Amino acid sequence: MVVTAFLHGLVALLVAPALVGLIRWVKARLQSRRGAAPWQPYRELAKLLRKERVVSQHASWVFRVTPYILFGTTLVVSCLIPTVLAPTGVQVFGDLIAVVYLLILGTFWLALAGLDPGSAFGGMGSSREMTVAALTEPTMAIAIFALALPAGSTDLGQIVRRTLEMPTSALGPGHVLAFAALFIVTLAESGRLPVDNPSTHLELTMIHEAMVLEYSGPYLALVEWASALKLFVFCVLLANLFVPWGVALSANPTAIVVGIAAVLLKVAVIAVALAVFETRVAKLRLFRVPELLSASFVLSVVAVVSAFLGR
Amino acid sequence: MEAAFPQLCILGASAVLLAAIIPLWRRHVPAYIVAFQWQSFALAFVTALVGYMAHIRELYIVAALIVAIRGMLFVRLLRKLQARVGEITELKPLVNIPTSLLIAATLVVIAYAATRPAVLVASSPTRGAMPLAIAVILVSMFTVASRKTAIGQVIGFLMLENGIALLSAVASYGVPLTVELGLFLDALLGFLVMQILVFHIHDAFDTTDVEQLSRLKH
Repeated sequence: MVVTAFLHGLVALLVAPALVGLIRWVKARLQSRRGAAPWQPYRELAKLLRKERVVSQHASWVFRVTPYILFGTTLVVSCLIPTVLAPTGVQVFGDLIAVVYLLILGTFWLALAGLDPGSAFGGMGSSREMTVAALTEPTMAIAIFALALPAGSTDLGQIVRRTLEMPTSALGPGHVLAFAALFIVTLAESGRLPVDNPSTHLELTMIHEAMVLEYSGPYLALVEWASALKLFVFCVLLANLFVPWGVALSANPTAIVVGIAAVLLKVAVIAVALAVFETRVAKLRLFRVPELLSASFVLSVVAVVSAFLGR
Repeated sequence: MEAAFPQLCILGASAVLLAAIIPLWRRHVPAYIVAFQWQSFALAFVTALVGYMAHIRELYIVAALIVAIRGMLFVRLLRKLQARVGEITELKPLVNIPTSLLIAATLVVIAYAATRPAVLVASSPTRGAMPLAIAVILVSMFTVASRKTAIGQVIGFLMLENGIALLSAVASYGVPLTVELGLFLDALLGFLVMQILVFHIHDAFDTTDVEQLSRLKH
């Protein structure tokens, strides 16, 4: 069980930067640019880790400790979710509620760190991030609850196994609507268009970048790596909870290799879909973001209602 | 394969419901028309599926008619109407967007709660889609009530008709073909009358904002 968690964490750590790189590369190609190679984020991380850290003299311990907390919680989440393996009979890890709360814990500390150095941008970013997070976190929990209800358990591995046992349930309204809701949440939580633009530092529009503006060197590397991990976590949740085929049910070597190949393929498909989607849409005005998020909230509520009452 | 039919049917009905929610979310009138078109296609899909499942040939004809009349003819007429009236964005609706979305969610819950007894006694494989059909009707009624421009209200009314057609398909495997044809005619006539009214309102007031109609009182 510990080995499973370790494997999941390791896969996430290694693959997450490439996922970000892949999205950037596909977007660049779609915009007729050559674009940096998909493994560019590894080079950036390596370079940032070698640089010195510059910390504002007004910053307190909150600012220094946040990158570690953010990275730690996100890494723990990526250990908990059924990335490659969903072994039967293991109930201890992979609980939905733990995943949601650990993610919001990281967001909470990052918002604190944005406020801490007292810069105007940081505070603006934090307040925006909290506005978005207050709407996305319940949506995410409710969307996954729509899957947890038929499975009879909040254990993510159990949800995966139940869908594998009853393949037709993947066509049910609970599944499809919850997928749409979680997709919108993924866009908002990982700071993608149309909620936030990950590739600009334009002060009027940025959310995530505004919060991390004060970070430099290894701190910035950790924050960037953590946000890549978060994107990977959401992509894996989208891939494995809704289309769980390929997830290994037992820990034999071939199943694990198939599991890794399947999850990489599915995440790559989602990454390309994200890139195409980001190229097609324009950023929403900040005041219209709650409209998008309440639409995804409605989707998840309808999903959970039809999962609960439509049985 | 047999087990997938009820799921596919519910999936189609969910798509119809999703399309009914889109006018509450978007401000762009052409997006309403596209939503109505997709809703009609989803409705035709469900109708054809029910026809296949229950071996009723007539439902194929109904599905083809839905695609031709609702999915193509009405959409063309709506586009023409919109081009002539020239209103691209819905005016500020009476209820703001997040609230109307939350109201839509409440209406869906109410639809599920209200149809629960009927779903429990029904034995047809399509019974799972009945609450969704009721939800489409309720949400479309809310669209009609909360939009200010006449064109938004017309689309809400057409979506309401779609919801009724969906309910008849999933609850009783459709109605006899003559009744179905009568319904089409009814919707078409209703639409044409509304179109003329919209033109008149637009000519008289230079807008289809129905609030302006209160000026007639003075």
